Amino acid sequence: MNVKHGLSSAVIARAQREAQKLVDELAGVRAAVVATADGFEVAYAVTGDANPARVAAMTSSIVAIGGVVAEEADLGRRESLILLTDSGFAVFQSVHRRDSELVIGVLAQNCGVPALVSYRAAQFAKALVEA
Amino acid sequence: MREYKILLTGPVGAGKTTAIGCVSETSPLITDVPNTDTSIDKQFTTVGLDFGQITLDNGDRIRLFGTPGQARFDFLWKILAKNALGVIVLMDNSRAAPLDDLSTYMQTFVESSRLEPPCVVGVGRMQAHPIPTLDDYAARLATEGWVFPILDVNVRNRSDVILLIDALLTQFGVDIQGGKK
Repeated sequence: MNVKHGLSSAVIARAQREAQKLVDELAGVRAAVVATADGFEVAYAVTGDANPARVAAMTSSIVAIGGVVAEEADLGRRESLILLTDSGFAVFQSVHRRDSELVIGVLAQNCGVPALVSYRAAQFAKALVEA
Repeated sequence: MREYKILLTGPVGAGKTTAIGCVSETSPLITDVPNTDTSIDKQFTTVGLDFGQITLDNGDRIRLFGTPGQARFDFLWKILAKNALGVIVLMDNSRAAPLDDLSTYMQTFVESSRLEPPCVVGVGRMQAHPIPTLDDYAARLATEGWVFPILDVNVRNRSDVILLIDALLTQFGVDIQGGKK
């Protein structure tokens, strides 16, 4: 399988650095994955047994389904989704680049702070749009 | 009024999204995004689900759910298959090994289901790719112990898609007009 996302190596390197920073700097974060809109990982940082390919595919699906919900409800363009569970949370963020639509998936345990992770994921997306 | 949930599945590019869009009486829900996999010759691909609806003459309603084709989305397959009364497996005869594709999807959606739901197989692109034949598909199903209708279809043709649905409904005793057979 060959993936052609059209991203420069500089953008991928930036994505990799930012993903690693998210995992290193935020409490509870155990995976940060940047993926194409169709679910192929572009850059990632994980701890433990999180599988970047699975996270990439799931992020792609949930962001797309969220986009349909937003469209049906006339809520505008999709930006982010937060999934809260009894032992953690996940943040899914759209990245609306001109050359390639990307998604970011961040998985965290409940010692993390959802608002902070959500903010950083949005900043991450902004950095990727501008990269 | 009764509701029937029918699942459309099959390999990427088989035409699941097109089939649902072709027959749905409401604007279909589609989660297509740009495809970056160069091994697949298509511009967009489904990453979540497709959804459409058809109302039978007696008011009963069919809800059509389409799956993504790629195995990397297999976490969605079982979610979407839950409570489906029947499965339509769409095949693409232009693919490298369509009979192996058939076995994969049959095992995933029919064999692994406790209820072994009724099933219909629709084979697309047969005019340009006549091999394997419908008999070959039937033989492959028979080796696994299944006997299901297998139809040559063009998913851009509404009547072909309706025929698939009708063939499936027939297996649980309802025809497309909504009457009991």
